[in-house]
Amino acid sequence: MKLKQVLNKEVVTTDLQGSTKREIIEELLDILMNTGKVADRSTALKDLLDREAKMSTGIQHGVAIPHAKTKAVTGLVACIGVHREGMDFESLDGVPSTIFVMTLSPENRTGPHVQFLAEISMVLKSPPVRSAIMKVTDPGELLELFGA
Amino acid sequence: MTHRMTLLILQLAFIILATRLFGWIAAKKLKQPEVLGEMVSGMVIGPYLLGGIAIPLLHGPLFPLQDGQIPVTPELYGIAVLGSVILLFLSGLETDVKTFLRFSGKGTAVGLGGVILPFILGSSITVLLLPNVHTIFDPAALFLGVVSTATSVGITARILSDQRKLSSPEGVTILSAAVLDDVLSIVILAVAAGLAGVAGTGGSIPWGEIGVVAAKAFGFWIVCTAVGIFLAPRITRGMKRFQSVSMTAAVSLGLALLLAGLAELSGLAMIIGAYITGLAFSQTDVSHEIHERVQGLYEFLVPVFFCVMGMMVNFAALTQVWVFGLVFALLAMFGKVVGSGLPALLVGFNLRGALRIGSGMLPRGEVTLIIAGVGLSSGAIGQDLFGVAVITMLLASVVAPPTLIFFFSRGGSGYTRKLPGDGEDSVTIELDFPAERTALFMLREALSAFRAEGYYVHQPDNHRRFYTLRREGSAVSVHQDGVNLVITTRRDEEQFVRLLMMEELLGLKDFLSSLEGMKSPDMMGAELMMGMFALEDARLDREAQQDESERAET
Repeated sequence: MKLKQVLNKEVVTTDLQGSTKREIIEELLDILMNTGKVADRSTALKDLLDREAKMSTGIQHGVAIPHAKTKAVTGLVACIGVHREGMDFESLDGVPSTIFVMTLSPENRTGPHVQFLAEISMVLKSPPVRSAIMKVTDPGELLELFGA
Repeated sequence: MTHRMTLLILQLAFIILATRLFGWIAAKKLKQPEVLGEMVSGMVIGPYLLGGIAIPLLHGPLFPLQDGQIPVTPELYGIAVLGSVILLFLSGLETDVKTFLRFSGKGTAVGLGGVILPFILGSSITVLLLPNVHTIFDPAALFLGVVSTATSVGITARILSDQRKLSSPEGVTILSAAVLDDVLSIVILAVAAGLAGVAGTGGSIPWGEIGVVAAKAFGFWIVCTAVGIFLAPRITRGMKRFQSVSMTAAVSLGLALLLAGLAELSGLAMIIGAYITGLAFSQTDVSHEIHERVQGLYEFLVPVFFCVMGMMVNFAALTQVWVFGLVFALLAMFGKVVGSGLPALLVGFNLRGALRIGSGMLPRGEVTLIIAGVGLSSGAIGQDLFGVAVITMLLASVVAPPTLIFFFSRGGSGYTRKLPGDGEDSVTIELDFPAERTALFMLREALSAFRAEGYYVHQPDNHRRFYTLRREGSAVSVHQDGVNLVITTRRDEEQFVRLLMMEELLGLKDFLSSLEGMKSPDMMGAELMMGMFALEDARLDREAQQDESERAET
């Protein structure tokens, strides 16, 4: 799967503001709502929060990947957000999260989201890429760093 | 007639018992493949050794020596042939056609080299050393050429999995090359079997007839495979109306026998038809179910086949050709290592990697014997050259595993180019569970998740919970060992595998929380136990009431 097929300037922000887990998730979900591909905001939000309750999606090195399988979408949708100061997303290494990648995928399939998240993780495992992401302000440049 | 049938039943009884005993000794005591033990059992109890001794109760030997090329009775040989047809049907069923059609160029180069060089060396040495064989188109030269091409990758797969090297660049290349080798060996066998019927042993080569036979063999192969792959999914879909997987399995086995007969009628070998049918059904969604049901037949009939093949080893005939046999076996091994290793060098492996791949293609097994058996029954080779094939198989099977372990256990990467990702070959992810049952549950969930992601799952050895999973260029292995689940993958696929396992682990968590909501297991257990005597108690109550009412009446 090409990241380009899923990501574009509309679904990228370098200026997340939320200070709690829920606020960040709602902020990212609103970006996805703007694409018109999410049918029902409250269902998607509930599924995202349920998934988060099972196990935090804050992984390591400031990266978090909130995701869920939900009836609210018919195909994979994703967005990327950067939080300048970093916030507590209950990550595994305790480091405040700064880079957020949210994906929603249809409920009935194992889903392309695993493949998509794997490709995103391949990009984000490089420390120079992570620090470059924290420096850019333009969504276009951010997309370029993801090779999309 | 009755005596012949009694003899057959007694023969089968001894074969089944002997193959189990010798197979067990080979596998558990000598750490060799079971098939070697089964074959040796045939040599020991066969007509040329113990089986040839007269038993007073039978008024003759248990395995009386028969005239002609086949030393056992036609009835017993028929059962062995059925075993070989089932063996090849299942081999076809296990083939991953999609990977075969799409696999990387490396596998193709290695697979082709591993067939062409051994074939040329095997048939040339036969022409050079045997006085009555004049051209490589002589049936004997052709058959020995094919005998040197077959690879038995099951042994390699098992060793590589133990060494955790199955997803290394060498491992992936060996697995994909072996698929090509299987198919090519059988296509060449088809041509050789056809040619055996027309090519004379004299000096002149009937080129026209050879062309016709080769075209017929390839034609049969291509037409049947294409028609099979087109029809098999439609047949299984139609069969689903009957809602019986057993019936689908029976129909597919029936078709395998039908095509095997047709292949023989068109001058090719039966096993080719069986293999093609298996290949066609390998593409259907019920291939695992068919496999499972035919497996029972396999377990009884295939050892009979190997045992009967062992019975064909005429020790007296072997004494005349054992020097040739040794030279041939060594050259066949040399051809395999160089033939597979050289192309590996050209496609990016270093010498260490090339030697690993060459040695990985060394093991020989059932296909070698089947080819030799077809040669013997068609009269293309005699008992002496059949013995040569057996020597080749025995020697390669004994030499291959230690060689493979030697090359794989030392030195660094065998690949000269950087892999996409970090370049180091593979990553092992280990998960520990509190109990074996939990690990088994996760194994099943993980396999079905990989299948849903388009991976083809293959279990090389039915006795171990070890699986290879392939999707285009990528290979993952999953192994459940007690409470551990060990997953090996290429470094550039590590993220994908970790995320997929994470999803499945969350599924397990959901399952556990759903269990918490279940009625207390103690209560359920109590209800089950209470029910044990309930019927008897009710009967006694009824009788007591009846007695009481009778007493009241009187």
